[in-house]
Amino acid sequence: MGYRWVEHTAEVEMEIEAATEEAVFADALHALGELLADGAGGDHVWREVAVGGHERAALLVEWLDELVYLAETEDLVPEDVGRIEFSHRGLVATVRCRRGSPRHVVKGATYHRLVFERSGPGFRATVVLDV
Amino acid sequence: MSEVGQAGVRGFHQVDDVVWELGAEARPDMRVPARVFADRELIGQIAADRSLEQLQNVATLPGITGAALAMPDIHQGYGFPVGGVAATEPPDGVVSPGGVGYDINCGVRLLALPMTADELGGRTEPLVHEISRRVPVGTGHGSALKLAGAAFDRVLVHGPRILLAEHGIGTSQDVEHTESAGCLAGAEPGTVSERARVRGSDQLGTLGSGNHFLEVQRVARILDPQAAETFGLRADQVTVLIHSGSRGFGHQVCTDYVRTMDAVQTRYRITLPDRELACAPLNSPEGQRYLAAMACAANFAWGNRAVLAHRVRQSVARILGPHVAEGTRQVYDVAHNVAKLESHGGRMLCVHRKGATRAFAPGSMELPGAYRAVGQPVFIPGSMGTSSFVLVGRQGAMERSFGTTCHGAGRLMSRTGARRKITGAELRHQLEAQGIVVRCPSNRGLAEEAPFAYKDVERVVGVVEQAGLAGRVAQLVPLGVVKG
Repeated sequence: MGYRWVEHTAEVEMEIEAATEEAVFADALHALGELLADGAGGDHVWREVAVGGHERAALLVEWLDELVYLAETEDLVPEDVGRIEFSHRGLVATVRCRRGSPRHVVKGATYHRLVFERSGPGFRATVVLDV
Repeated sequence: MSEVGQAGVRGFHQVDDVVWELGAEARPDMRVPARVFADRELIGQIAADRSLEQLQNVATLPGITGAALAMPDIHQGYGFPVGGVAATEPPDGVVSPGGVGYDINCGVRLLALPMTADELGGRTEPLVHEISRRVPVGTGHGSALKLAGAAFDRVLVHGPRILLAEHGIGTSQDVEHTESAGCLAGAEPGTVSERARVRGSDQLGTLGSGNHFLEVQRVARILDPQAAETFGLRADQVTVLIHSGSRGFGHQVCTDYVRTMDAVQTRYRITLPDRELACAPLNSPEGQRYLAAMACAANFAWGNRAVLAHRVRQSVARILGPHVAEGTRQVYDVAHNVAKLESHGGRMLCVHRKGATRAFAPGSMELPGAYRAVGQPVFIPGSMGTSSFVLVGRQGAMERSFGTTCHGAGRLMSRTGARRKITGAELRHQLEAQGIVVRCPSNRGLAEEAPFAYKDVERVVGVVEQAGLAGRVAQLVPLGVVKG
């Protein structure tokens, strides 16, 4: 359970296995946080993040894009999730970030080889990021 | 690495020394053949990742004509392979944001200084250092040109021309010596989201991270004296190569329109093997709006490289003197990631170039008057610490590749793979031991761009020369590099 990086010639592909849908989104945040982390020890900041969509795979892409946007425009490195609530309109979450100088290596989350599916007792997801 | 046998590689058969092809009958959903420009060594490397599968997926796009093409620097991307070319025919042919990519109009600009490397002498390090002070890299945006509102929109519509007119950035020759004069027609700021504006508002004149870099170089060899003289390049001359794109602004435009296209696939009865290829007919409202927004991002990218060139000239003025800055010419500026409406074979086509460079042959009216007799300049950056090449477009490109050639060496190894083989500190030491000045705040970023993570650039340009797509003009070697 958790995330791992899959070999990709030019971009970055994350694979997540988690017990719940909420944990998939949390692990995706942790993975992105690893990419963006700058090692700085800035202040913690909490943000509410809301993204729309009912299909889980597309919602995962929206989620990552929202976190990329926060990093680029507010210099926030995502670190953890307080709560995640799904609804028919999408999801709302509280996200703990650290203010710093995130590595702007991520241009966007893509639909390429995008997967969000049940896997055994839990869920599995893959996302390719353009870096 | 994949075996290259008598039967070909992954079904691709060898057409001639540097062309490999898979017929359209190979898959029921392919509309045209898939064709790769490569020699036997490169096709083996190419077959080692998902590039060829991605190229076949491109061959399924509605309205694609001729063949789905791949340059010798092709490697696995997302949706389109990097190094892919697809021409679609209006009105029903499609435009695909993924066929351009997130870094819209990522490209390369070459400046030529009026001095030799001998004359530069011991001032290489101060010059590279000064450039690194003036050019924000990675997350930095300190000395970016910050514009908002109507002033920002005018850059989206007019590109570098308006930066010259309103901010005194660049020269009229810079504008003339830029692909499409730095301005794609049809740009409409109203098609761009507020998010894109927010991301781009403080990023004009910023280099970014990843494989973007700025390199001070020396002309090591002249390979085509006539073309080199036309481009104003001489042996031992100092040049500066700038590689950057449309930054967060372009990334957001792509993000917005991949979603838009993804939502209308059913409406247009489009079935694709890869969701990232999401597209819409060129004459559809979604297709038209994407082209208008993409033009904004392309013009923004040309504006970004214009401001970066301005910062280089400021650095040159401070370290080498104002007269050297005044004599610093822009050779040309080319786009790597763009979709453009062009006439080929008497037909108007939408040519998607994803990690590929326009390379128009002599005689094209698209070229500046000074270059029309010899053809379009093309710049092929090598990997860090290795050579880059100046090429010139040839007639073969017009006949075989919709006026296109390669864009770089092409990645061979993943970023994590590169980091496993070398640390940033080790690579920095190796480059400095070669006499190359390095300014890069991130050891991780440096290691990911290690030279061994890329193909042999000399082999790649050798293939496009043998295929008649472009000819070699000059070889450039690095003196110093600034990267994010």
